[in-house]
This record gives sequence, structure tokens and C-alpha cells, in this order.
Amino acid sequence: MTRLLLRYRRGLILSSTLLLSFVLMTLQVRSQSALADLTKHLLLTSVSPFLRIAAVGKAATVTLWNEYIDLRRVRLDNQLLREETRQLRTQVGELREMALETYRLIGLLELRNRVGSEAVSAKVIGKDATNWFRTILIDRGGNEGIQRHMTVVTAEGLVGRVVDVTALAARVQLITDPESTVGVLIQRSRVAGIAAGNQEGTVQIKYLPLMADVVIGDRVVTSGMGGVFPKGIPLGRVLRSSRPTNGALFQETWVQPLTDLSRLEEVLVLKQPPANDLPWGSGERLP
Amino acid sequence: MIAFLLALLGVCLLQSAVIPRLAIGGIRPDLFLVLTFGLSLSAGPEVATAAGFLVGLYQDSLSGAPLGLNAFTLSLIGFLVSQMSRQVRTTELAGRLGLLFLAGLVSGLTTLLVLRFFQVPRPWTSTLLWTVLPGAIYTAILGAGFLAMPKPKALRRLGR
Repeated sequence: MTRLLLRYRRGLILSSTLLLSFVLMTLQVRSQSALADLTKHLLLTSVSPFLRIAAVGKAATVTLWNEYIDLRRVRLDNQLLREETRQLRTQVGELREMALETYRLIGLLELRNRVGSEAVSAKVIGKDATNWFRTILIDRGGNEGIQRHMTVVTAEGLVGRVVDVTALAARVQLITDPESTVGVLIQRSRVAGIAAGNQEGTVQIKYLPLMADVVIGDRVVTSGMGGVFPKGIPLGRVLRSSRPTNGALFQETWVQPLTDLSRLEEVLVLKQPPANDLPWGSGERLP
Repeated sequence: MIAFLLALLGVCLLQSAVIPRLAIGGIRPDLFLVLTFGLSLSAGPEVATAAGFLVGLYQDSLSGAPLGLNAFTLSLIGFLVSQMSRQVRTTELAGRLGLLFLAGLVSGLTTLLVLRFFQVPRPWTSTLLWTVLPGAIYTAILGAGFLAMPKPKALRRLGR
């Protein structure tokens, strides 16, 4: 018997399972048997805890995924907002720059009206390439009627004079250049002297008599002597003054220029021709 | 045995939680069939038949089918595939794909016949065209790909 069973075991198993399945189906479909329902219930119960865990895991995964997506979206938004902020900051910087430029240009315009002579506004496009001279390059030249020895000013005061002219640009010698000399007056006491630049980039008034009335803070203006600079343009304020005791004939007076010459951006060129054609670096005549 | 039960549990979870998301035009691949098929490739007909029966019972419990419908079908599939795997080169992907597709078709046809027997008939042509055939193709592609993947040791021992 056992040998017979073993011999036909495949067929037996197959027919048994098929028969059992058939019986289960019949029980459920034809007679609504409780046994089939119970079997199904038991099978479902054996899996349902895992299904619940899987459902929780799935929900957690979906939540995590959605949060991840949200996070990515937030990150993208963040990047866009950062970019927008950067652009706005740039715009604000540009607008601020434009406002400052407008403010400076208004000052120059007012000055031009005050001066009453024909003037050309120019932008500073370069500064001296060496430490030996103090000059600037402006973007207006012969084409705009700029000529040598024309006076260059800002709203604050004197800057220097034109020393080289090309068609499209001009070089301006600053009052702090070691080769620069300007006839000046102490505005309060009307004492005249020569303001000369030096290697340190400051301005010193030469040829002021020992007994001249000079006080720290006195305003220094151009004297108009020499025919290069018109009279009355403010140059600076007396920074310090001393009377040497070594037998010298003149005071030593230093002046702080009113214009910050290291930060020049726009200037006004006064188209007032000089009385004499002075060479580069030559000094003005003594008053 | 433990590996088989774990695989069965995994298939139950996948089929009820993940596979519905992979449905194309309402057609889902049948992972229970893939499990039975995979087991039957390496197991003897007796084991494959019994395993198919158990897998089918679980599939029935997770579906609205009468208990025994899929048990019947998968028992038959397990037996047939186990027998045929000796004649067909099931180590090659094409062989597996073809055999799995055939198993899907047989499973669908058997289900149709059994349902008809129990007075739950379905229209032949449309069911064959829009349910059985696409289901068999989808199951064959997914199943062959899944069976071609490298498996952990526990799963490799499944059919021994």
C-alpha cells in the first residue's frame, strides 16, 4: 500500500490539492459553509498584522517621501529667493550708486551755475600709474573743447588743472602733485602764498611771511595770481602752521584739501583759458 | 520552509500594498504566480503542488475570490511548471519568460473555466483579450526580471 502511495504520490498530491480546492470552493459558493469562511478568516488573520505593519510603513514612507519632496521644493524656493535677494541687493547697490552720482552731479551743476563760465563735466577714468606723480585721467578731451591749463574743480573745491589733452581724454594734475603750485590767499586775513604739492600727497603753503595772520582752520582760496586758476576757488583749510626759529623768512603751513582727491569720480573742467601758456610743472609767479 | 513562508509573506505584502501602484490600465502582475513559478523551477512536483496550493489559499484570502479558486489554479501551475522545467531551458531568460507567460495564460484559462463551472461566468473573448493576455504578459516580464535578479542566500535555498 505504502509502495503504491509512493509510486503515485505526484498524482495523488495533485489530485488531493485540486480536490481540496474544489471542495473549498464548493463549500463557499454553493452552501455558504462556515468552514470555508473560517479557513479564509484564519488565513487572513495570519497575514493581516503584517499587512497592517506594512500599511503603517507605507504611510510613513509616503509621508517621508512627501516631506522630502516638500523639502526639495522649499530648497528650490530658497535658492530662487536667495537669487532674487542677490539681484535686489545688486539693484539697490546700483540705485544707491546712481543716487550718489546724481547728488554729486547736482553739486557740480550748482557749481557750474555759480562759476558762471562755460564748464564741462567729466568722469574720472584713471589715476596715475606711479607713486611719483598725482594725476588723474578724465573722459573729456579736445573734442569737448578741453585745453591745457584749464581749471578742474568739484563742488567742494579745487582739484587741479589740465596738463595733457587728447581728443577723447585729458590728464589733470592734482593740487597734491609735487609739481603743482597754485597761487592762494588765506581768506580771512587775505595773506597770499603759493600752495604746492609734495611727495607725501599733502599741500603746503609756501612764502607766507613769518608774521602773517594764519590760524588753524583758516579757509584757503585761489588768489587768481598767475592767470591759471580763477580767483576765489576754495582749496582747503589750514591744518597746521609753524614759525621756524632757525632764521627762515617764511612760515611753514600745511593745508587739508577740501576735496577728497583720493576718491574723485566726477569733476568739472572750467573752460577759462589761462593768461599764459605755462609748461608742465612750472610754478606760478609770486604774488 | 521558513524562507518560503517569508517569501510568501513578502509577496502578500507586495501584492496588496505595492503592486496596485504598478497597475497599467487596471492590469496588475501576479506575484503569487511568480512565487509559485519560481519555486516550481527548482522543486519537485510534489512540493511545487503543495506550495502552489498554500500560496493560492493566501491569494484567495486576500482577494474576493472564493476560497480554493487560486489554490486550485496554482496547485496545477506548480505541478505543470515543475514537470515542464525539466524539458524547457529555464536557466535562460527567454525560456523563463516564455514559460511564465504560458503559466499566466494557463492560470487565466483555468480561472475562467472554474468560474464558469461555479456559475460565475465571465465573457470569454473580452476576458481573454483584456485580462488574461495582458496579465500574463505583464506577469511574465516582471516575474522574469525579478527571478533574474541576484537573490539572498535564504531565497536561493527556497526551492531546494
